[in-house]
Amino acid sequence: MSAKLAIINAEIHTATQKEPVRGALLIVDGKIADFGAIAIPQDADVIDAAGKAVYPGFIDPHTHLGVGEEGLGWEGRDYNEMTDPVTAHLRALDAINPDEDGFREAVEAGITTVMSAPGSANILGGSTVVLKTGGGLLHQRVLRDNAGIKAALGENPKRVYSGQKKMPSTRMASAALLREALVAAQNYLNKIERAGADPDKLPPRDLKLEALVPVLKREIPLRMHAHRADDIATALRIAREFDIDLTLEHASEAHLIADKVAAAGVPAIVGPSLGVPGKVETQNKTLETVRILTEAGVTVALTTDHPVLNVYQLLHAAAAVVRETGMDEYDVLRLITVNAAKILGVGDRVGSIEKGKDADLVIIDGHPFDYLSQVAYTIIDGRVVYPKTIAE
Amino acid sequence: MRAIVNGKICTMAGAVLEKGTILIEAGKIKAVGADLAVPPGAEIIDAQGGYVLPGIIDAHTHIGVYEEGIGFEGADGNEMTNPATPHIRALDAVNPADKAFAGARAGGVTSLAVAPGSANVIGGQVLAMKTWGRVVDDMVIRAPLGLKVAFGENPKRVYSNQKKSPSTRMAVAAILRENLTAARNYLDKLERAKDDPEKAPDRDLKLEILAKVLRKEIPLRAHAHRADDIITAVRIAEEFDVDIVIEHCTEGHLIADFLAEKGVPAIIGPTLGTRPKVELVNATFRTPGILHKAGVKVALTSDHPVFPVQQLPIQAALVHKHGLPEEEALKAITINAAEILGIANRVGSLEPGKDADIVIFSGHPFHWKTRVEKTLIDGEIVYER
Repeated sequence: MSAKLAIINAEIHTATQKEPVRGALLIVDGKIADFGAIAIPQDADVIDAAGKAVYPGFIDPHTHLGVGEEGLGWEGRDYNEMTDPVTAHLRALDAINPDEDGFREAVEAGITTVMSAPGSANILGGSTVVLKTGGGLLHQRVLRDNAGIKAALGENPKRVYSGQKKMPSTRMASAALLREALVAAQNYLNKIERAGADPDKLPPRDLKLEALVPVLKREIPLRMHAHRADDIATALRIAREFDIDLTLEHASEAHLIADKVAAAGVPAIVGPSLGVPGKVETQNKTLETVRILTEAGVTVALTTDHPVLNVYQLLHAAAAVVRETGMDEYDVLRLITVNAAKILGVGDRVGSIEKGKDADLVIIDGHPFDYLSQVAYTIIDGRVVYPKTIAE
Repeated sequence: MRAIVNGKICTMAGAVLEKGTILIEAGKIKAVGADLAVPPGAEIIDAQGGYVLPGIIDAHTHIGVYEEGIGFEGADGNEMTNPATPHIRALDAVNPADKAFAGARAGGVTSLAVAPGSANVIGGQVLAMKTWGRVVDDMVIRAPLGLKVAFGENPKRVYSNQKKSPSTRMAVAAILRENLTAARNYLDKLERAKDDPEKAPDRDLKLEILAKVLRKEIPLRAHAHRADDIITAVRIAEEFDVDIVIEHCTEGHLIADFLAEKGVPAIIGPTLGTRPKVELVNATFRTPGILHKAGVKVALTSDHPVFPVQQLPIQAALVHKHGLPEEEALKAITINAAEILGIANRVGSLEPGKDADIVIFSGHPFHWKTRVEKTLIDGEIVYER
């Protein structure tokens, strides 16, 4: 028998249309079966959402959840392998502790999907993973492994490696190392393709080069940490040279070259916009970046960069964008749902309330951007993951 | 004369006036009331039905000593070359051009405590200042208002990396006791010497400021997260009979009755954020509510630049959501902060005779759409939307 859960008397904010749908929402086997004025099967469990609103689970598309563990020092810090600036073969998945506190706080805030990435110390940091914040064992929570290769330009790599008297110690070398790595991977791919079915002509398998092949084939993007406008321009230049897909991560000064970003068709994950600008490359950060990029036609999402800001501040950031830029609330809701899912390449599964999508939902007693609103239930894959039952 | 009219006035001195007027003269509050006549010729500031509160106060920041948008060049918060530096003064490192001051004013923050960091067991002297001005000396409300000391992970991490003492919590406590003892000896010599300059010890800037602590002119401002560190701080304060304020107080909720019994106030925060070290593992938004309920006086801190000071009302909203009554959450960022800093004679509430530091919000300060409309310091509009 299939598992059925019905949410009744709901005000359903789908994130695909501005006006909420009133009625019920039926979940069957972890997927959204139907919603609106629908009949509820007799054998369904029921949550009465009277007086509350239902939203798709929120998404933070750039975090380090699980890769860095809370309440620990050195022991829990696995973000940055600062021994080699090119480590495309590392995988965030291998460092994730699925039980660390940050995931619990994400679930409590209604954030159900995140991208978790290596840090930005390296030019090529490793592969990122898109996962649910709760609801099962780690392998069951993975939505998309290898959702892009993390890359970084600007201050972080040059600070880390100049401190070690190694390359890169300039922005020039950062770009050069990235090009070298992409060329090496292209040569590797060319050899494989020329070899065809002849194993004697195949190059020996190389995990570092292999990690970049899906980037060259445009199966996954480079997820490029870049704050300053000149670093963003460098990222766009290199992406053009190698004809690869790109996402901009942080994008603190992207508003200064919004037309270029829009023309390149490159999406931007902006943030953390609420924190104090701690370094030169973030000194011009502003909430207006989000509005200006959106108006220029760029697909934009928001990020807390957890643990830079706690992941629950995703909602505070959304509130601040509405308050400070005058952007429409519905458009800002889409930044942390539909747009985030699209940029992560998981828009077919999550990010909105639509038939057939994963039943990742938040039931909340007020506006989700209101600091005082309480999440009543968080549901992932049709299971109530917050509040936890005693049995769990 | 200026008059703020048509505002919902929360005086933080007990009264909430649904529709009141504040009269300002010569930078001070002249009168607050529901039915005040506005004298002819007074400049009218219309609050348009918004909330009017005393300027927000953050009781623990590093604004101006850690400058925004700069790396090493702007980082002057921690003198990590000696674990006992009581003679250094945050005052000497505050850059009034730090962008954070403009952000503070835009967020309705009018007064701050600025402290050295927590790398040293004895970090240096804390001051209270306004957020508006060109020259730090003109911005000072009270300096020094306390001596920053630190317990727990920070000093032992910094100095164990340098293969120096302290590398344990035991040594942290020992270094503080040694310094307080040296100051006690210095003070005793001074007192025995009376008017005889031959017998007086040479002036010593380090011991001089510690002597102020021993005379209870200023408190120890003790950075302490873990419950055991808080208890150690209180133990040493009692041994030397000095006043103490606990800063951060992350595990205060585990020993609320202890803090209440000792009469020790707490400056709590930053409660936003993650827990990047072991001593933060039990951080929770519930701490201020639990401490208040036990009878502890609480204020909140952004610990700017750890969190932006203009987000202090968000923090107050969130601790209110987790148990601190609304009125107390507002007091924690106004009058309680002023009282703990020893500047409540000047700021922290809207009462006649106090500095006209006033913020006009478009709505309730805890509402997510509320914006600061105007900020006044000493009666002058220093921010206007």
